[in-house]
Amino acid sequence: MKFRPSPYLALAPALIVITVMLGASLFYAVLESFGIIRVIGQDALSLDAYRDVLSGTGAAGGEFWVSLGFSLWVSAASTIFSSALALMAAVWLSSQKNQADTLAINGHLAFPHLAWATALLLLFSQSGILARWAAALGWIDVPADFPILVRDSFGVGIILHYSIKEIPFLALIVLGVLRSQPVGYDVVAENLGASRWQRLRYVMIPQVMPALFAGALLVFGLIFSSYEVPALLGIGYPRALPVLALRFFLDPDLRARSEGMVISLIITLIVLAVAVVSLKLEERKE
Amino acid sequence: MKYLVRALLYVVLVAPLALFIVYSFTEGWFFPAPFPSEWTTTTFQRTMDDPRTLGGMWQGFVIAVIVSLLSLILAFPAARALGLRQFRGRQIAWLMLFLPTVVPPLAIGMGLNILFLRVGLAGTIMGVSLAHLISTLPYTVFTLSSAFARYDENYEHQALALGANPMQIFFNITLRMMTPSLVVATLFAFLVSWSQYLLTLLIGGGKIITLPVLLFTAASGGNPSTIAIKSLLFILPPALVIAFTARELNRHGNEIREQY
Amino acid sequence: MTKIEITSLHKTYPNTRIPVLQDFNLSINAGEMVTLLGPSGSGKSTVLKIIAGIEQPNSGDIRFDGETILNIEPNKRGAVLMFQKSYLFPFLNVEENIGFGLKMQGVSPETIQAEVKRMLKLIGLPGIEKRKVGQLSGGEGQRVALARALVTQPKLLMLDEPLSSLDTSVRLNLQAAIREIQRELGITTIFVTHDLSEAMAMSDRMAILLDGEVTAYDKPETLFHRPPCVRSAKFVGVDLFLEGESSGGWLEAVGVGRVRLKDESKVGRSVFAIRPEHIRIQKEEKENSLMGVVQSCLFRGEALEVLVRIGNVMTRARLPMPAPMFAHGENVFVQLPAEHLFEVAA
Repeated sequence: MKFRPSPYLALAPALIVITVMLGASLFYAVLESFGIIRVIGQDALSLDAYRDVLSGTGAAGGEFWVSLGFSLWVSAASTIFSSALALMAAVWLSSQKNQADTLAINGHLAFPHLAWATALLLLFSQSGILARWAAALGWIDVPADFPILVRDSFGVGIILHYSIKEIPFLALIVLGVLRSQPVGYDVVAENLGASRWQRLRYVMIPQVMPALFAGALLVFGLIFSSYEVPALLGIGYPRALPVLALRFFLDPDLRARSEGMVISLIITLIVLAVAVVSLKLEERKE
Repeated sequence: MKYLVRALLYVVLVAPLALFIVYSFTEGWFFPAPFPSEWTTTTFQRTMDDPRTLGGMWQGFVIAVIVSLLSLILAFPAARALGLRQFRGRQIAWLMLFLPTVVPPLAIGMGLNILFLRVGLAGTIMGVSLAHLISTLPYTVFTLSSAFARYDENYEHQALALGANPMQIFFNITLRMMTPSLVVATLFAFLVSWSQYLLTLLIGGGKIITLPVLLFTAASGGNPSTIAIKSLLFILPPALVIAFTARELNRHGNEIREQY
Repeated sequence: MTKIEITSLHKTYPNTRIPVLQDFNLSINAGEMVTLLGPSGSGKSTVLKIIAGIEQPNSGDIRFDGETILNIEPNKRGAVLMFQKSYLFPFLNVEENIGFGLKMQGVSPETIQAEVKRMLKLIGLPGIEKRKVGQLSGGEGQRVALARALVTQPKLLMLDEPLSSLDTSVRLNLQAAIREIQRELGITTIFVTHDLSEAMAMSDRMAILLDGEVTAYDKPETLFHRPPCVRSAKFVGVDLFLEGESSGGWLEAVGVGRVRLKDESKVGRSVFAIRPEHIRIQKEEKENSLMGVVQSCLFRGEALEVLVRIGNVMTRARLPMPAPMFAHGENVFVQLPAEHLFEVAA
């Protein structure tokens, strides 16, 4: 009897499914980005879409650089805010014995982005709950007086969404590091005469920084490439890169379709580069 | 200070829920009224009577069940190999499985859209399920393989030495020992699939309409009460799951990562 | 009762170059209890895993009453293994754990219940059928694991360091209990351990396993007093070896000096050894004494352990109490009584 099947055999089904679907989808994406669109019998390789996008002249390309800037701004700001808040939350949580708080954090993590964005919309829009309360308090008279917090041109709504929604993920990473450290460091530092603030500054933060940074990069990649939230909480111009890419991918004009594909591939490349850096950081940590 | 932080923590968790519930059972609550003046179930009933609502929930449910089952069947042997064996190429297998978690669903969906149109899977339940599988499989594998890394094979050896055959060992020992992790992994897969919007849109192509698709359309410019009701229906399964798997969730929190 | 014969077993794990077992031979009489004694990594557990069918040998044969078992499915071999950890299934209670093997064979619930009851009585824990395994102490857990192993009436019982993680007092009790139960049932048993005193207490015969090979196999008292080779001798606690040319009843031991032998006919290159209990340390010269310098002197309760340097060789002597303490650096005479020197293979 063979008690242990080969590991390769065991991995084969999962790997084949992933490789075939991922490989084929990337293959077709690249094909279309080069203007080879079989459905309409167009099979001449052309770099037009790349040229249009990068030079900022095509149907979709005209917005490319603006959108890239917008996406980078929104992703960077959200990542920085959520990292800082996550660090605070984790340091606070690590001093708590209460498991319920960790559970609450996990609850946030499991809350779908789509629902969270919807809630923000109901809460922060110009006729939302907060605007109504402001009106009731006599601060504003008409909805237009309320500051534009969602669907605004600076991405405030999107940043607000991610800054809060990404806290749990990052906080759990930091918490994981803090809890895996031998309990002693903090005690030793205290014993050596370090104050509460000094222990935080010189003992805790250096310990968690590499993991937090690696996690923050993943978060950056996620925000940078996600569609739903900027589509719901953003406006028509400027719009995030994924929104732009999908809009033109679904465009009946097939030249625009290739440009949508090019933008999607550029997003993928950027996210993969960020992920590689994050992985390298995590490897170095070990 | 501590109480303030904790209060904030729970407000952020509970506020959206409260918001959805309040909005669901009101009608004609307009600016600038700070609170709804009357409570009604009219909108709720209207939304539930709309065949698209229940249809969307049912389709989403069917897809999520297919996706969880497929993930589980594919992930189980793979996770066992990754968690318990050392072999050449293990690192590469890890990376391959890690890849779908970083390649944006946007790019996957756009490419798959073309592929599935060619092979006739676009606009079908199976096609959407296969697309969702790409994003659930890595998490299922990681959850189970970390459980297998803690798993002691000697329980199986012990059963073998006590006269159990491989089939009996699988059902009496392996499955029993892995039950908690299997439950968690299945629920994760279910939830990821349940809340998937973009892949459903790109592969479903307007033929497969799940609840998130309905919600997204409503949220892009609909009646607040309708939005709230759909949100409520949408987060119901995740909320239930979290309530019932609290302890396991605490342990696996880091593996869920970001998936919605 | 089953007679076990293991012949020229070889085993090398995949992806490794060093064999775990090389030409492993062992024959066990029906109803006999044999210990496999060896340091960790010597291949003890691998032998048991091969017999149980968890691992496959590269070559060799295992016979139960003359019939090879290698082509029998592992779960039908009737060779039950018990580990250092009890591996009681956490999701089953005591009764269900003990009855596991019988249930797998399709035995009726009533029979299982009766057998479990009988087994619990045998291991001295009657009435704990419904207990959860998490509520058992370490010693109780191992007793239940033993009952679970015995309930199917296996041909061979294999115990892999079953007591190594228990406290001393629990461990001594269980040693006696296991020996008692084994005698009562007359079941052929292999007991694996790295602990010399446990190995001797638990066996009819004891095999010393070093680097995948049986280097000695005999009654415990024989192996303790007259180990056949240097490697085995070291493992049973001997650490003074005298190597050199012998002639006319004298041994010219390299680095130590001239030592008188009992056997005057011995000629040529040979190695002699002596147990630390037989070495005497005195302040004045006696017969067959060598000059030595005391390095340390430790009180061990039942004996005084003296570390002493003779020429350029270090050795330990265990002196029965009462004995005088020696000072560090003190010059003494180390007496090696000729009747206790025995020859070992190099």
